[in-house]
Amino acid sequence: MTRPKKNAVNRRGFLKGAATAAAGAAALGTSVPIPDLEAAQNGASDTSAPPPSAEQVSRDAGDVRPAAGARDRAVVRPGSDLMVQVLRDLGIEYVAANPGSSFEGLHESVINYGNPPNKRPEFITALHEESAVTMAHGYGKATGKPMCALLHGTIGVQHGAMSIYQAYYDRTPVLLIAGRDLGFIAAHSANDMAGMVRSFTKWDAQPKTLEESLTAIQRAHNEAITPPCGPTMVVIDIELQKEEARDMKVPAHKRPTIAGVDASQAREIARGLLDAQNPRIAVGRLRTPEGVNLAVQLAELVGASTDSAATQGPMSFPQGHRLYGPGANTSYDYTLGLEAPAATVALIAPSLSTLLDRDVTNIGFGGIAPGVGGNRGRGNAPAGRTIPVDAEASLTAIVEEVRRQLSPDKQRVVAERSAKHAEANQRARIDALTRAFEQKRAGWDASPIATARIYAELWPLLQNEDWILSSPSNFSGAHNTQLWTHDKPYSYLGGQGAGGMGYGAPASVGAALAAKSRGQIVINVQTDGDLNYAPGVLWTAQHHRLPMLTVMHNNRAWHQELMFVEYMCGVRGRGGERGHIGTTLRDPFIDYRMMAATYGMAGEGPITDPLKLGPALKRGIASVKRGQPYMIDVITQPR
Amino acid sequence: MTRMTYLLYTCAMVALIVQGAVFAQATAGGATNGARTNTPPTSPVTGDAVKGKKLYFDYACYSCHGYNGETGARSFVPNWPANLATESRFVAFLRGRANAAPVQPSTSMPNYAAQSLSDVSAKDIYAYIRTFKSNAPPADQIAVFKQILGSAQNDRSAATPK
Repeated sequence: MTRPKKNAVNRRGFLKGAATAAAGAAALGTSVPIPDLEAAQNGASDTSAPPPSAEQVSRDAGDVRPAAGARDRAVVRPGSDLMVQVLRDLGIEYVAANPGSSFEGLHESVINYGNPPNKRPEFITALHEESAVTMAHGYGKATGKPMCALLHGTIGVQHGAMSIYQAYYDRTPVLLIAGRDLGFIAAHSANDMAGMVRSFTKWDAQPKTLEESLTAIQRAHNEAITPPCGPTMVVIDIELQKEEARDMKVPAHKRPTIAGVDASQAREIARGLLDAQNPRIAVGRLRTPEGVNLAVQLAELVGASTDSAATQGPMSFPQGHRLYGPGANTSYDYTLGLEAPAATVALIAPSLSTLLDRDVTNIGFGGIAPGVGGNRGRGNAPAGRTIPVDAEASLTAIVEEVRRQLSPDKQRVVAERSAKHAEANQRARIDALTRAFEQKRAGWDASPIATARIYAELWPLLQNEDWILSSPSNFSGAHNTQLWTHDKPYSYLGGQGAGGMGYGAPASVGAALAAKSRGQIVINVQTDGDLNYAPGVLWTAQHHRLPMLTVMHNNRAWHQELMFVEYMCGVRGRGGERGHIGTTLRDPFIDYRMMAATYGMAGEGPITDPLKLGPALKRGIASVKRGQPYMIDVITQPR
Repeated sequence: MTRMTYLLYTCAMVALIVQGAVFAQATAGGATNGARTNTPPTSPVTGDAVKGKKLYFDYACYSCHGYNGETGARSFVPNWPANLATESRFVAFLRGRANAAPVQPSTSMPNYAAQSLSDVSAKDIYAYIRTFKSNAPPADQIAVFKQILGSAQNDRSAATPK
């Protein structure tokens, strides 16, 4: 492709000139006067900056048409406008980015394309590429759909690399576009930009033409949502973003066809479920909410008790469903696995699985396997007969086949069995809660506050809301898994993916982006060490008015590491009183309410009195229901 | 926090559960060696609880046992283990732990040799531990537990399939 020549005064020249002017002023010992600013600081209102005009205000609100002279521009239909149109057509709701010159053309199109100016996908301002990608990660887990993140050249890709790795490990679709500009800053460019993250992206492309760029974005989307799902990347040169598209048309997009069971397999599985005396369905993590709906339909049609992974992550069977639980009889004679870990699948029936199988392929990551089998890194190859197809894509055929084979006699059997399961499951749930209460009451009135109390106090405030628990709860006692009912495909988004810190807040912002347009609220029980990786994401939450309640699990340490180092101190006989060095966040303590306030977010704390926790949480929920994020700093017990 | 921590933590917790199960099995059936009791110890205390409070924090005892022994991975209030029955048993317990680091990180209770924690300091910690009292009301007196139970009872009307 022929690259257009740079203008006589290009950006580098402009910056160089500006720097020279500033240096010259400094050398002369003079300062550059800024009359309006100085006047404003002196309270001289008559010379301060004038208020914005009605036209400016209107344009800021996105309610105006382009200026009349816009048609006289040299480039009237920039290529990046078509890229935005492709994103729109794909249903991409958000594009998160920290601004970078290598995608300035695309950036401008995202905010200005169309008439009136584009609002979908909406530009989400990120303060760090790692945050931008993790936002997309959280959004992807909440919806099953990809969100887009833009990355600026080599430096942006490397900033985002850990988050890309984590989304890859977590099998989450994310659409990445990296800008490339060979002619501006050499250090920010590379011949093979995606090479840096190829080991943990599912697919990438570096198109040579505008038309190729458009189809590459479409393909990247399709690859991301095709199981095994994962992040994909398109590297797009700045020239392609800025070139005149003329009458080029946006290519038609075709959604991917995802393979499921064939007709004979669907027939066999339907027969197995209906002929069984006590069938069971073990549901792992499906791809989208539609998969969860189909799993519910199937369980109800055959009267199977079900196992769920809803306390471990998104897109699994609802815990509140009457068929969720061990059922009336735990001797199952047919167990169908749907993306279920081996431990929950019997040897006597098929397990449909592609999401888990992906991990054992060890895609180009040297000797490090990105997860193996159902337990992701902890062994356990799938048991029984695994049919290597996508479970969600198989369910429609199985449900249809079950409906076809379901006789009135079998319907009666199913109804009777379902009623028995419902009673037994209800008893099991109440028993489990009663046992949990005995554990969770420990330290109930203690100060610092017990983590169990945070989750317990939250539930009555959430139970009638449409909520998402976006933060991993493993370091906070995982009390939600015992005290809450995870009923929606997005109720709990699970762990970090690869255990990488700096995940909770940005993933919660991503989930809150999904929640905002769907009338949901997001709960982020935020560990303190994790937040400090990139706390600027709080600003993003405030700037975009996201419904996100952050409750700090503030134990003032990277607590797991503190325990490890204390153990090392002990067994080496060198005393434990220095184990806090490098593992704790004290001297000074961090004031998270002040941190939130710095980013413009309302909040309160630090709270040490357990009696003050409930009312604070109530205020927090009320705030996020009004569309205002809120932060509550709670000083907690370590775990 | 290192990135390996997540997996290692899980391994450690599994080890803990196994250890707990073995302990429970070994101590079932009465107040013998290793048994737990709901009754706090009443044996004499010679240490200084004020000094012990600082040591309990400095040695990060709280990291596993909570700030008052009630929370965390290894809580002991109100189920007091036998190794806290007397001052001497506590000191002996500290000296008798494993003193070699496993290859993988561990959250087990380490050994505390006399050169790193003197008998006097150990007794001070013991004195502080003995001040701990349960802050746990009965479960049926915790209002939000009742609400949680109520919502669970309403989650699914037992025998009525959709």
